Amino acid sequence: MRITCPFCGERELGEFTYLGDAKPQRPAADASEEAVYDYVYLRDNIAGVMSEHWYHGGGCRAWLKVTRNTLTHEISAVEPAAGAGAAKVGA
Amino acid sequence: MRGDQANRLNNGGLIDRSAPLNFRFDGKTFSGFRGDTLASALVANGVKLVGRSFKYHRPRGILTAGSEEPNALVELRSGARREANTKATTAELYEGLEAASQNRWPSLNFDVMSVNQLFAPIFVAGFYYKTFMWPAKFWEAIYEPAIRRAAGLGRAAQVPDPDHYEKAWAHCDVVIAGSGPAGLAAALAAGRSGARVILCEEDFVLGGRLLADGGTIDGLPAAEWVARTLAELLAMPDVRIMTRTTLFGVYDGGTYGAIERVNDHLPTPPEHQVRQRLWRIVAKRSIVAAGSIERPIVFAGNDTPGVMMASAMRNYINRYAAVPARRIALFTNNEDGWRTAETAIAAGLQVAAVIDARPDVSPAHRSLASKGGFPVLHGSVAGVDGGKAGVRKISVSLTGGARAEVEADGLAVSGGWNPAVGLTSYHRGRPKWRDDIAAFVPDGAPPGMVAAGAANGAFGLGACLREGFEAGAAAARDAGRSGSTGSMPIADDAAFSLTPLWHVAGKGKAFVDQQHDVTASDVELAQREGFESVEHLKRYTTLGMATDQGKTSNVAGLAIMAAVTGKSIPETGTTIYRPPYVPVAIGAFAGHHRDENFHATRLTPSHHWAAEQGAIFVDTGLWKRAQWYPRAGEKDWLESVTREVKAVRSGVGFCDVSTLGKIDVHGRDAGTFLDRVYINAFSSLAVGKARYGLMLREDGIVYDDGTTSRLAEDHYFLTTTTAKAGLVMQHLEFCRQVLFPELDVQLTSVSDQWAQFSIAGPKTRDLLKEIVDPAEDLSNEGFPFMGAREVKLRGGLKARLFRISFSGEMAFEISVPARYGEAMARNLMIAGKPFGVTPYGTEALGVMRIEKGHVAGPELNGTTTAADLGLGKMMSTKKDFIGRVMAGREALVAPDRQVVVGIKPTDKARRLRSGAHIIPKGETPGPDNDQGYVTSVCFSPVVDQWIGLGLVERGRERIGEIVRAHDPLRGEDYDVELCNSVFYDPDGGRQRG
Amino acid sequence: MADFSWDVRSPLDRTLVAGPYGVQGDAGVALTEIRNFDLVQVMARRGKASEMAQTAQARFGVAAPETPKAVGASDATLIWSGPDQFFMLSKGGKHSIEALAPVFAGSASLSDQSHARALINVSGEKARTMLAKLSSIDLHPDVFGVGAAAATSMDHTSVTLWRGTDRNGQVVFNLLVFATFAQSLWHTILDSAAEYGVTIGHSEDLA
Repeated sequence: MRITCPFCGERELGEFTYLGDAKPQRPAADASEEAVYDYVYLRDNIAGVMSEHWYHGGGCRAWLKVTRNTLTHEISAVEPAAGAGAAKVGA
Repeated sequence: MRGDQANRLNNGGLIDRSAPLNFRFDGKTFSGFRGDTLASALVANGVKLVGRSFKYHRPRGILTAGSEEPNALVELRSGARREANTKATTAELYEGLEAASQNRWPSLNFDVMSVNQLFAPIFVAGFYYKTFMWPAKFWEAIYEPAIRRAAGLGRAAQVPDPDHYEKAWAHCDVVIAGSGPAGLAAALAAGRSGARVILCEEDFVLGGRLLADGGTIDGLPAAEWVARTLAELLAMPDVRIMTRTTLFGVYDGGTYGAIERVNDHLPTPPEHQVRQRLWRIVAKRSIVAAGSIERPIVFAGNDTPGVMMASAMRNYINRYAAVPARRIALFTNNEDGWRTAETAIAAGLQVAAVIDARPDVSPAHRSLASKGGFPVLHGSVAGVDGGKAGVRKISVSLTGGARAEVEADGLAVSGGWNPAVGLTSYHRGRPKWRDDIAAFVPDGAPPGMVAAGAANGAFGLGACLREGFEAGAAAARDAGRSGSTGSMPIADDAAFSLTPLWHVAGKGKAFVDQQHDVTASDVELAQREGFESVEHLKRYTTLGMATDQGKTSNVAGLAIMAAVTGKSIPETGTTIYRPPYVPVAIGAFAGHHRDENFHATRLTPSHHWAAEQGAIFVDTGLWKRAQWYPRAGEKDWLESVTREVKAVRSGVGFCDVSTLGKIDVHGRDAGTFLDRVYINAFSSLAVGKARYGLMLREDGIVYDDGTTSRLAEDHYFLTTTTAKAGLVMQHLEFCRQVLFPELDVQLTSVSDQWAQFSIAGPKTRDLLKEIVDPAEDLSNEGFPFMGAREVKLRGGLKARLFRISFSGEMAFEISVPARYGEAMARNLMIAGKPFGVTPYGTEALGVMRIEKGHVAGPELNGTTTAADLGLGKMMSTKKDFIGRVMAGREALVAPDRQVVVGIKPTDKARRLRSGAHIIPKGETPGPDNDQGYVTSVCFSPVVDQWIGLGLVERGRERIGEIVRAHDPLRGEDYDVELCNSVFYDPDGGRQRG
Repeated sequence: MADFSWDVRSPLDRTLVAGPYGVQGDAGVALTEIRNFDLVQVMARRGKASEMAQTAQARFGVAAPETPKAVGASDATLIWSGPDQFFMLSKGGKHSIEALAPVFAGSASLSDQSHARALINVSGEKARTMLAKLSSIDLHPDVFGVGAAAATSMDHTSVTLWRGTDRNGQVVFNLLVFATFAQSLWHTILDSAAEYGVTIGHSEDLA
């Protein structure tokens, strides 16, 4: 498999580390225990297109959001995580 | 004809008669020529019997002339280079080649195990399951070893392979599998367009079927056209032609696997060269021009040596000028098979008869028969008389029911052609059936891939050229190359007519899968016993599961299954195709990564100095770390380690701790960031101070620990454990980039920038004063416990000094830029000489941390909470941090959790072992009474006995209790006392002094 | 008082043997370790990418690379190392972390990497062929031209690779590798290059 890093270009799978579903958002500090439980443990097991976190640790160390079809491995989009390249956003 | 190559024609062939080569087969010396394969050289020497079959030990000969060969498998080379199951049909001949037949004892001609044939009724499909059911323990002890001796193929060398293998990457616009007419035409079109092309050919010469079947292309004889095309391709700088290279697999994202047999054609690889190279080829487009494989017809005795595929016979005669038989019979169900009769006549051989299963043959062939003086028999082969000496007589059942007999010493068989649909089907693709050629052809392919020519079911020469050329042009266009393709090579198409025939019923064993000895009746039996699905058929009979992956047998097997179930062949379907297309040595996949190169190795900055000191090194992850420094006269490691511990506790010692992960945390929000990743607070840490920190996973379990120092308002220096350094960096980057992108934080690994040494013991300050500039205040007031700041060393070099202790002694850690690491070790030795300084290794480090009750990897084991480790009070209640909420879950705060406690045997002479289970006194060992286990142990010079740490239920409430340490693995059971985990200086006075 | 010497030792000092290696005859690959350089990781503060770029422009007279590239200034090379960050490679202390810290104060965080890397210069007729055994990226001249850079991995080890100016008509690649991995990767490079013949050397000068 090959992933096109938005910073480095197309690279082979070995440079990346898979984390998992990118959908769950870390609950705020005052969230309920149930909300945190959901965040930590509950995952959709999608047969199809899903958004995933990948780390380009063997390259530029950017965390990426990869849209991948788990049935075909087709990757339709790759975007940087919010804080990758954050020096360009407002302070 | 040459005397020692009695079956070699005087003229012709693509062999170099000026380069004779000697080789040995089963101990006998033969000769061949450069350009031969082992198989063609054996044919030229009249050798028909080359091996014994897998199950029945039947005599077998050479069936094919390519990588689809099921029978002619040999052990190639000898000693450490012995390679089992090597195909004689693809092994290139070289001077001094040694090969031995397989699966026979004591000799190929007289094989004791051929008595298996007499017991054939019990060796039918599924015999393992039926015959050797019980008693169960007989299976491992008796049945399996006996079967393994009797069945099976060649022997692997039992010693490490002395040769080298490597892996490499290649990138191109278009990769092409196969260099027959379609592949060459594709390469021409793509190359002329300006595309970057890689052409892989598994043979050692280009041309594919053109090498055996010739033809006329653009008015030139095929050989001339191939030479002209090759010259044109070689002149293109971005076209790479790789012979001896099989494209064996396709992977996601346009990545292809190929195996290059760089030096398999030599006795040993030249110095500094590899035997094989595994390629990962990244291509925008791929063209499968892998051709097709002629298929056998299944009939009784079809495995007799001398029965050969019709096309293979043409290979041997035309390409190698080697004659497999003098009087040849041909059994065909299609027009193409007749070429073998034409070839035989042209070579001056006799054609005994053509047995054609079709109702009619063409007028041209009829006149060939009458000119050649041989009969055309309409019907099919019902059986073959012969044995290890080869074919003698062929019995034919004629259409209409009459019988005939044909005397011949060779039988060429053509049942039609199966396109090589492997590559196109590797992503769970299913090929589709085409009635006109009675074969499966690709039905789609992985993204970017197309099939062309015979691999796509186009069998005519003209069609192969056309499909290949068009595919090459399209692929180049898709890759953005727009050069002119020039003119397309032109050739005529021969007619292809075929009447499907898979199996001729008759008496005697008729083999479907010759490598696995699967017969037509095995397939029928599988159906009777309910294994009708092709996937079940495959596994029950082992059809197609041998090293040839059923290239000559799969379609025939499912055709027979279709016939007995009354379904059509497409309804019966195919099994799933999986790479690799040909066997690939595990050594090639490992490549460079074996022995000391199994993984990359990291060396500490003082490594070479430590090696000079005679240090014993231990592998810790990728690192080599000094484990202890033995001295003359010490009888074992324990004596050395005990000496090192005592030297530190009574004087001073030092240890390279550069393996700790070290991370620069910069930014305005660095403190806030650390507050969120550690359970304790760091924003409140004063500049110039260090603090021990603990990180949790989001599920509340401890992740890692280490000290972090604040070097400036916006700069922290964080350390991790050696084991987790990379993972913590990844985790922190996740926190920074994904969880908390609003924070101004920058992270950089500085693990390799700093050489860091722990200096410990009551004389630490004395030693440091020798090294550090006298202006620096190292007193308890000037540099208190947990202080951290930059200092100047004598000579002006700047270093970082941290007053932290892992040993419980007065200690500092000192960091210098890594290129000074070795000098630092030497200077510590010089400076410490008056104080008896002792370098110590990871063992002594471990002893002292256990004596001090510090937790490490065995306790931070992915199951423990901060409270389990006795660090629960560190958890801040004033801030959010990773793992905070989940750490409060009922089960993680349950009062009966296993927590860290000290453990020591009641018998002071007893050795404590980690892994021993803790069982209450008087209870029976078992899961119900298991209260924990010993995690870390050492011999403590301070306590003067073996001590340890363990995770024990309510351990801290049970100090003083005697329990059992039960160790069934080592057969030990002894009493231990639960005690305070801090065995040494419990109030910490020494490290603060 | 004891007499100390603070000798520097490059990570390859004990391993590198200058001279020919592998197949004899004309060397297809030349390997040169560059020793004792200043290397500073410059990382923009949040929201300060353009300030960092302006500072770099003013200091070095060239624009800091925003894509994987290496940019040569008169006395330094700026090599892209990730989003909003680059390496400053120079000699002689003029652009050491001490010298740069006041310059980039407020716009970028600096981390000294001078001792964290070994720098290996790979050139020769077979340099590209040899690197194909180690690198998964496409080094074809049309794809990886002079000045192209990559943060990538070789033999599962993170490296920074960039193409320098050709020397005597030969391609030149520069390779920054983590210091503690350097000896291991060096041996792998030698194993990969031996069949082409190698000339090994070391130098104090940046190429």
